[in-house]
Amino acid sequence: MTRSLPDQSLGPEWTILELLARGIIDDSEVQMVRDLLTTDTLKWGELLEQALRHKMFPMLAHQIMSASLRFDVPTNIYMHLESALEWNRWQIEVFRRETVRVAQALADRGIPFVVTKGMAFESTLYDSLGTRYMNDIDFMITPRDRDKVMTVMQELGFRPFFDWAKDARREEISSRLNPDHLPKLAREIDQPGIRLIDIDIANSLTWTKSPFDVPVEEALENPVEQSIPGMSGVSIPCFRPIYQFLFTVLHLFREAWLQKFVESGTDVGLMKFGDVIRLIDRNQNKLTDSELLRIMQTHGVTDAVAWVLRHMDETFHTHAVELLALEKHGNEKLLRSQMRSPGYVNAWSESMRGRLQSKSRGSVQPVAPAHRGS
Amino acid sequence: MDDITTQFEECLRRHLRSAKPNPINYDVELVQLGLDSMTAVAVLMDMEKTFGIRFPDDMLVEGTFRTAGRLKEAVQLLRERQAS
Repeated sequence: MTRSLPDQSLGPEWTILELLARGIIDDSEVQMVRDLLTTDTLKWGELLEQALRHKMFPMLAHQIMSASLRFDVPTNIYMHLESALEWNRWQIEVFRRETVRVAQALADRGIPFVVTKGMAFESTLYDSLGTRYMNDIDFMITPRDRDKVMTVMQELGFRPFFDWAKDARREEISSRLNPDHLPKLAREIDQPGIRLIDIDIANSLTWTKSPFDVPVEEALENPVEQSIPGMSGVSIPCFRPIYQFLFTVLHLFREAWLQKFVESGTDVGLMKFGDVIRLIDRNQNKLTDSELLRIMQTHGVTDAVAWVLRHMDETFHTHAVELLALEKHGNEKLLRSQMRSPGYVNAWSESMRGRLQSKSRGSVQPVAPAHRGS
Repeated sequence: MDDITTQFEECLRRHLRSAKPNPINYDVELVQLGLDSMTAVAVLMDMEKTFGIRFPDDMLVEGTFRTAGRLKEAVQLLRERQAS
């Protein structure tokens, strides 16, 4: 996708992260990042904090290493970034082995599933550079296999994450009220620097009783086999590109649109949009085909997809809405809304860019009382 | 008002903004009183603590707390089960 350079009104630190999130595509962007990183007014504390908040620390580190800025960055910061990148690469390696272990166990029992998000994107969208940070390993299954999968996971040594949570009962109640995922699972491991492996298993592309959803059974049909870097002859099933796109966009919509994610500060992040931009860049032919529009219309998710892409275009100067021919879609009222509870929406008037940069999103109050809506 | 009603309403008022100044209408959906998915968890936990009960898994569904009336019935049922 073509894109103009971002305006720098939010400061050099934010501009660097916006450029990295959407992916550096030409020499002018390489030069811009380089210039911004070496500017005298750069606030390293702000840059590092925002990079951490947006899970971009390894990506920032890689950019600085690959641009040979060793002597332009304060020594202690450079060394720390270098260690963080190495640690992330190590974690990805450990996660790859665990992904294969779980995938083989599910496949052995004939359970349909795919690997999603970070582990699926790390090699296909981020070139296995070790720059894509991930908290956990994500899988998608069908709702009917929830119990079977839980049994398999327990056999593999996983148990509900409640055991490690600060407030176990809160986690448990929350998980029961939202059966679009299995309870988060974790396993203790004995690897340098990594104590726990978390696995997140979803059984919906969005959320329980969502008015915007694509049947997971349909999305899991005809998965593509994706090889695992460094593991010869081993592959994992992932969504085919159209469903990969739909899942990623609808998942972002879920976290951006549902008020509960805003309140917990886990709603939107630069890299969530970065994944969508790269998915479109690398699968343009498949996504501009009429099949995507047909599937979106069949399941009534066009407005939700347009919500994400319109906010993305406004924020990152991309042209996704035009590229996917969605100019006539998207509902203004929906675009400026936030769902509080099933059936109740609030008006939301912030810009996505301001929201992404804000460090206190949970304190933002709705601009109007909730009313019945989508 | 009996004891459980006073405690029950105090518990709701602690979490629901719109329930604070007004008498609680037991037939109105709690979302209209300010319940969202985060406060739903907080309300259920508070009910458990206040009444010394534990909602079993099959009661951890939206229907249990759709209205104040439904939620109070669930609390009473669990208290009775516990007493017996």
